[in-house]
Amino acid sequence: MAEYRLDCLGEACPVPLLKTQKEMEKLKVGDVLIVEIDHSCAMKNVPEWARNMGYNVEIEEVDDGQWEVYIEKTK
Amino acid sequence: MEAVKKSKKKKANQFPYGIALLVLIVIIGIILSKQSPQLAVRWAFGIAFGFVLQKARFCFTASFRDPVLTGSTSLTRAVIVALMIATIGFAAIQYSAYLNGDTIPGNISPVGIHTAIGAAMFGIGMVIAGGCASGTLMRVGEGYMMQWLSLIFFIIGSLWGAKDFEWWTETFISKSPQVFLPDVFGWGIAFFGQLVLLGLIFIFVEWYEYKRFNTKNLSV
Repeated sequence: MAEYRLDCLGEACPVPLLKTQKEMEKLKVGDVLIVEIDHSCAMKNVPEWARNMGYNVEIEEVDDGQWEVYIEKTK
Repeated sequence: MEAVKKSKKKKANQFPYGIALLVLIVIIGIILSKQSPQLAVRWAFGIAFGFVLQKARFCFTASFRDPVLTGSTSLTRAVIVALMIATIGFAAIQYSAYLNGDTIPGNISPVGIHTAIGAAMFGIGMVIAGGCASGTLMRVGEGYMMQWLSLIFFIIGSLWGAKDFEWWTETFISKSPQVFLPDVFGWGIAFFGQLVLLGLIFIFVEWYEYKRFNTKNLSV
């Protein structure tokens, strides 16, 4: 199980999600992607997309207005 | 997944700031109510609206962008529900004005080619800027610096629009028809027709999301 970090700090709404989608394709099953975001809109659509895809998702607010989204590729 | 997580950074306690802000909002509200009660009501509605927008992560931009980009339609459905509620509310206000023989309130504006041009320009702009008008204002308040830039150019763009508005009025708006659906179809068909149409769009986008994610999952 490998983990990767994806730095999306300062990226506005659709960009973090697009980057996440591209990055998830490269991952193997069981790998975890940590997406760092600070745009509140991405806080909604990144986890939502990942859950829709059936991945395990957890969100952690690491700082005020800054989040890390943990996405585990399950299939 | 627990092992992956880093320990949380120590966060500043924001509670005192929240209390101070609440007191400030109330004080400004009282000052405004001395000027005119209507101002205080608008102040309260503005604050409440912003609060709901921020907490709900409601975003008109995402409601139109996400279906195309990711297939997620939850915000699209939220906007449809909001439109349905607004339809019922505004219909009640307008119908009562109609029964009393008053002029019908609301923004009933001419529709024409200028509507389509404006919509396309606004759509392109809001996707690039990462927010529509309310979304931009909300994120300015959240402290997202990029949106501060958006706001500055939003203001510049609005001023420019106001400067050119006369030309648009002369060339397109004055020649376009003013459509008020109850005048065309009658109140019953206009009201229930709009609700049924919105309901059909709701069902369609839900089906679209289901379809999109299921075909995607098969290929993975």
